[in-house]
Amino acid sequence: MVIKRLRLFVVSSVLAMVLLGTAGLSFAEKPTVLAPCKQCHQPEKDLVRGTLVSVSEKFKTINVQVGQKLVWIINYGEDLKITGADKLLSISKDKEIGIRFTGDEKKPYAVSLAVKPPAKVAPDKLVTAEEMSRLMAMGPEKGGYLLVDSRPKPRFNESHIPHAVSLDNTKFDELKDKILPKEKDKLIIFYCGGVT
Amino acid sequence: MSPESARRAEAAGYTKVKVFHDGLPAWKKAGNLVVSEPAALKELMDKDIAHVLIDLRDAKDAEKGFIPGAVSITSKDLSAEKDRFPGDKSAPVILYADKLDEEAFRTVRGWGYGNTSLLNGSIAAWTKNGSKAEKGKLATAISYVPKPRPGEIAIEEFKAIAEKGSPDKIILDVREADEAMNGMIRGATNIPESTIKNRLKELPKDKEIITHCATGIRAENVFEELKEAGFKTRFLNAVIQVDKDGKYEITKK
Repeated sequence: MVIKRLRLFVVSSVLAMVLLGTAGLSFAEKPTVLAPCKQCHQPEKDLVRGTLVSVSEKFKTINVQVGQKLVWIINYGEDLKITGADKLLSISKDKEIGIRFTGDEKKPYAVSLAVKPPAKVAPDKLVTAEEMSRLMAMGPEKGGYLLVDSRPKPRFNESHIPHAVSLDNTKFDELKDKILPKEKDKLIIFYCGGVT
Repeated sequence: MSPESARRAEAAGYTKVKVFHDGLPAWKKAGNLVVSEPAALKELMDKDIAHVLIDLRDAKDAEKGFIPGAVSITSKDLSAEKDRFPGDKSAPVILYADKLDEEAFRTVRGWGYGNTSLLNGSIAAWTKNGSKAEKGKLATAISYVPKPRPGEIAIEEFKAIAEKGSPDKIILDVREADEAMNGMIRGATNIPESTIKNRLKELPKDKEIITHCATGIRAENVFEELKEAGFKTRFLNAVIQVDKDGKYEITKK
């Protein structure tokens, strides 16, 4: 009787472990990257990229959204390295952040946190105002370029640089095949409106 | 926006991608040629927003078909007609002729009218866009009486709400989170323009929502969005700067 019970216990424990194991496996597939971030970043196993939901000082957790109903709850301590903000609490809600962590998906612990820096353009990719004037005067055919206005369409309608075409940055994927040239080596110049 | 578009174009395989980072504000400020589309002119008319529309063609050509509300001043006469233009240099001035009349643009822009543009495609594009042309005599006097844009809140009223609060109004800051991080009006809520569509649920239907951004442009976009979704709303159409303590400065555009 005792042996039988023991066997039952062993069998049920094995079963539980198998079940837990699979549960753990499906948990491991929890996405680490929010969809828009994938345009520039590859998913990494120990790096969560998403938008900041909240920070709880009481529970020492950072909540990061990586999908519609997908939030990572990541523990942190005094040793957290932060770049792009002076302290954790000064990062605003919805800001894009990346957190490198140790531990597993169930109990991640943050090692470092980086706030997405403002978009920078490499100097060799910049077009100066003089160059732009020269190209504008030449026209897109002779100048061999396509000038693209990244602002929303109503702003483009109101005022834009001559010869520019409209391709709203927020609708880029939807419209790019219609607007951008077939030749992948054509010079494309983007501009927008700075402060709005 | 443009650096991000450039990155996306590179991701799509384009190899010669550049960015004119100074963008339109710098381009306009330097007095360079700016064009506008018939759709924007149509919107000014539909929303009854004051503007100056000049037909630069010879009167007898213009009389065969002109854009409603246009005033006739020929390219030839333009430089001598400065006094007929409004005192308010922020007035939107739209010029059209048979061609892109760069010289006319430079004349008016040179007088200090920062919102001058040439109508892209002129009258042909206007009628192609489905709008009607008029025939007969054109007006010769410019009348420019600026009115607030629909939904615009008076600056003084906005200030009163920001200072004292209001039980039935909330201030919605629609700047991006990193801008709002540097200082927000006390009691305001931040939902960036770029995320508003997915976050309408967070806003009350029983309160009036007053939007602001940095210059009024995004605030107006969100105002339109909220109005469409059935909210009671207005927007601040002015330049506003907020510092870390929530102190702010509003300047008229």
